[in-house]
This record gives sequence, structure tokens and C-alpha cells, in this order.
Amino acid sequence: MALDYKSCINCKACETACKEENGVLLGADKHRIWVGVKEIEGEFPLLNIASNTFYPSQCQHCDNAPCQEVCPTQATYYDENGVVRVDSDKCILCSYCMNACPYDARYVDDRTDTVDKCNFCSDTRLVRGEVTTACQATCLTKVRIFGDLDDPESEISKVLREREHFTLKTHLGTKPKLFYLI
Amino acid sequence: MRMQSMIPMKQVTLKDLLQFEKRPLSIFMVLLTVGLLGLFATGAILYLMHGHHAYNVTREHPWGLLIAMYVFFVVSSTGLCIVSSLGHVFGIKEFEVISKRAILGAIVTIVSGFAVIALEIGHPIRMVIYNILTPGFTSAIWWMGTLYGAYLAFIIFEFIFLLRDDHKWSKFFGLGGLLVGIAAHSNLGAVFGFLVARPISNGVFYPIYFILSAMITGSYLLFILYGYKYRLNFPKPIEMMLKKLAKVLGLLLGILIFFEVWRMMTAIYGGMPGRADAAWHILTSPNFLIGEVLLGMLIPFIIILKSKGEAIKALVFASLSGMVGIFFMRYDLVHDTQLIPLQTLKIREYQLPPSFVEYMPSFAEIAIALGGVGLAILLYFLADKLFVLDSTKE
Repeated sequence: MALDYKSCINCKACETACKEENGVLLGADKHRIWVGVKEIEGEFPLLNIASNTFYPSQCQHCDNAPCQEVCPTQATYYDENGVVRVDSDKCILCSYCMNACPYDARYVDDRTDTVDKCNFCSDTRLVRGEVTTACQATCLTKVRIFGDLDDPESEISKVLREREHFTLKTHLGTKPKLFYLI
Repeated sequence: MRMQSMIPMKQVTLKDLLQFEKRPLSIFMVLLTVGLLGLFATGAILYLMHGHHAYNVTREHPWGLLIAMYVFFVVSSTGLCIVSSLGHVFGIKEFEVISKRAILGAIVTIVSGFAVIALEIGHPIRMVIYNILTPGFTSAIWWMGTLYGAYLAFIIFEFIFLLRDDHKWSKFFGLGGLLVGIAAHSNLGAVFGFLVARPISNGVFYPIYFILSAMITGSYLLFILYGYKYRLNFPKPIEMMLKKLAKVLGLLLGILIFFEVWRMMTAIYGGMPGRADAAWHILTSPNFLIGEVLLGMLIPFIIILKSKGEAIKALVFASLSGMVGIFFMRYDLVHDTQLIPLQTLKIREYQLPPSFVEYMPSFAEIAIALGGVGLAILLYFLADKLFVLDSTKE
């Protein structure tokens, strides 16, 4: 997924759509995705307007995911599309993955008492044959581009070829697949 | 009866098991143990009713007091196993007297640790099943858990052969238990050391430090066990053993202090974000200064230095202070690992930008943690009645 994050207006429609589509429980700590707010720096009237940015974020679906590596029962796994997912039947709630994830992308689902996270709507929208995620479909400023990175002709592959981008905490070597477009 | 021919046990009735000396210290210990067991039951019931909501663990701080307590117990177990191996594995004469008591202590503490962690892991039975069906070989928790399972089997056999006075097999299982125990325990350190997202814990320090602090814990516990058993009037062989042990303990504490100094220096030097700020926070916290440094290291260390390792009676009390310090070492290592929030931005209104993550154990967590100590004392008390723990040579 690529994020044209400078277009984000922090309306949080993506958070709401994600909860609605994937049945995420209510509560501030129960979220698969979020919008991070960087506060304005400087003292009035010399405010640094450029510093006030919004970073929509979620599980980075790392190519080298620390959460997958530390899971003692292989409950966290890569599916055939390379999406990092949790098999709730195998999760023992040792919370090691929550501690190991550098992005705080995991939380406990109180219905199953297992760890849950973003799976790019794999078991909801994608399984119904749709090609967009809930957060992408609802975004009114078209921040998100979701697609197949292995297909050179996909929209996301084209955008990543044409526009400069960065990933979060790159130095940890997790190889995130959430790209922020500059 | 067949059981007794395999495992030498004393002939005791249920009534004998419940009897104890009517001396003030014994009565106090019995009341304390009953109280602690009551707490354990209360905490367990709260957990069964409310699940993890009974605990103060959160998304940002998923590991709490019970993880620390589990580490505390298994450190004690590994430590007792290592120290006991000095006698019957490595053949150092003075330490041969402690074998049975130390190995029993190792069994009792690890069983208590398992009891505590069973109330922390969300699905302990599922864990046993998928630990075998779909093992995660890249997970330090998998290795730690599996090796500790094997370790428990080894030390139980070792204990049985020690009871049977079978030195050949007890040495075999003793060596096996020692090696598997060290592997398991350093893997427990690696559970924290492997966390690339947590610079304060990531690295080689914890796997090594765990083994060192285990040996210190084992020594403290032996001082307490023998101090209580002989009410400070030690017979000659025990006195000689404790004086030797005091010198070993002094050396280990010196190494620990040396390790800690360099750990803090390297963490602070250069001011790396996420590591230096966490280190400063640790260095200025009372948990570290009073708990770890003063109670856990300095008080016993100074007593050993001042008396040149002769003041073994004072060391029994210093070991109590030392164990409180060891508890803080475990608690702090779990808490400090999670000190720096991984979510670096504000994600909702009316929220301050993330700073150090705070955590205070809930009543249920404290009850289960203290109750675990009660469980260890109860198991030890019962085993002391059932088995002959002192060498017949004494």
C-alpha cells in the first residue's frame, strides 16, 4: 500500500470504515489502523506550519516481520499474497508479537482473546472479490493506493516507480510494505 | 508401595504433613504461607472471571508483573541448579551437601513459575498443542519454553537418583539439567535481547546477564534455606560450605556490578534516542537505585567484603534483602523494555504526545505474584516432610 500522506486531512474516516468492515470492537485501544498527528512546532506567532502533518498508518506488512519471527506457534504467518496475518486458532496470547512489533500495530481482540491486526481486509473485502481495502475505498482525499507489488503494471508499482517515497523505521531492517509518497 | 521402591520417601500420614513445630518463626511462616495461598486463589479467580482485564496490561505495555514473576522463579530455579552442580557434577567436596536441597528448590521454584505463567498466557493448553504441532523455531519463547520443559524432566530425574544415592545417574541427569537449564535460561534472556524494536534491551547483554544473576539468586536462596533450617546454628560442614559460597557470591556480585556499570555507560554514551533516554530514566528511578543496586547488590556485597566472607549469619539476612533486589531486577527488566512507546505520534484528541509508558500492577497481578511465593513455600514444606533431604554423612 502506498500513502499519499500529505493529502490526509485527519478526518479518521479510514479508522471508522476499518472498524465497520472488519468488526473491530469499540474502544480507543482497539484499532487496526490510525492517523498519527505531528504537532505544530514553535511558539506563536512563529509557528512551523510545515511541521503539522498527519501520518495515516497501520500494520506495515513487513517483508521481514519481527512479529512473525517471534511467534512461538506460527500463529502469525505470511499468506499467499505476502500479507502478514494471524491465525486466531493458534494464537496463545503470549503477547510477544505486541512487544516485538516496532509500529505498535497489534492489539488484543476481546472476543477471541487473541492478538489481532490489519490484514488488508483479506478475510472481508478481498474474499468477496473486491480489490480495495475499506480504508482506501472510504478515503475522500484518495490518500491510499492498494495493489499488487509483484505486478509491474499495477497502479501501486507505477506510482512507486514515479514518485519518491520512504518507509517507517527503515533502519530496523523490517522492509515495510507501507510506502509514504513524498 | 511400588512408588516408594522407586522413589525413597518417608512414611508419613496426612496428619504428619500438616504438623509443624510450634515455635514463633514456624507459626509465622505457616500463617504467611496460608495468607499467600489465599491471595493466589483470589488472584486466580479474578483472572478466570475477567481475563486480562483483571490485569493492568495494555496495548503499549503488554507484559506486566506476572511475566516478571515468572522470570524471577525460573531464574531462581536455574540458579539453584547451577550452584548445586558445583557439588555433584563438578565434584567440589564442600558443595556436595547441598545437592538434594538445592535441586528440590529448583523443582519447586520452576513449578511455581509455571503456575504463575499459566495465569498470564491467554491460552496455556493451546500453547502445549501448537508448541508441538507448529513449532516456531525462530521464536526465543518457543526455545525457552521447550527447553524449560526438558529441564524440569531432567531435574526431577536428578532428584530421584539423588534420593536413591545413585551417584552415576544423578551426575548424568545433573549435567543434562545444567546444560539444558543454561540453554533455556539464556534463551529467556534472548526473549528480551532479540527485540530489535527496543534498543534498551536489544543485544547480547540479557542472555549473559541472566546466567550470572541466576547464580547470584541461587546463592542467596541457599543462604536463606540453610539459615531457616538450622536457625543460624550451622553444623561444621554447612558452615564451611556457606563460607565458600559467600566468597563465590562476592566474586559474582563484583562481576555483576562491573557488568551493570558498563551496560549503563554504553547505553548513555552518544545519546542514542530510545536507549540513552531510557537508561537515564532507569538510572534515576528508585526501583533501580534502591531495589536493584542497594538491596540486590551493595548490602550483600559490602557484608562479604567487610567480613572477608566470614559473616555467614549476617549474610542470611542480606540474602533476604538480596532476593528483594533480585525481584526488582526482574520487574525492571520487563518494565524498562517497554518504557519507550513504539507509537511515536499522537493518535487521538485530548492526548498528550507519547512519553514514557507507565505501568502499575493491578491487585490481581500482585495477588498472583505474591501467591506464587506462597506456593513455592508450601511445596518446599511438603517435600521437606516427604523426603530425606540431608546427606546421610552429616
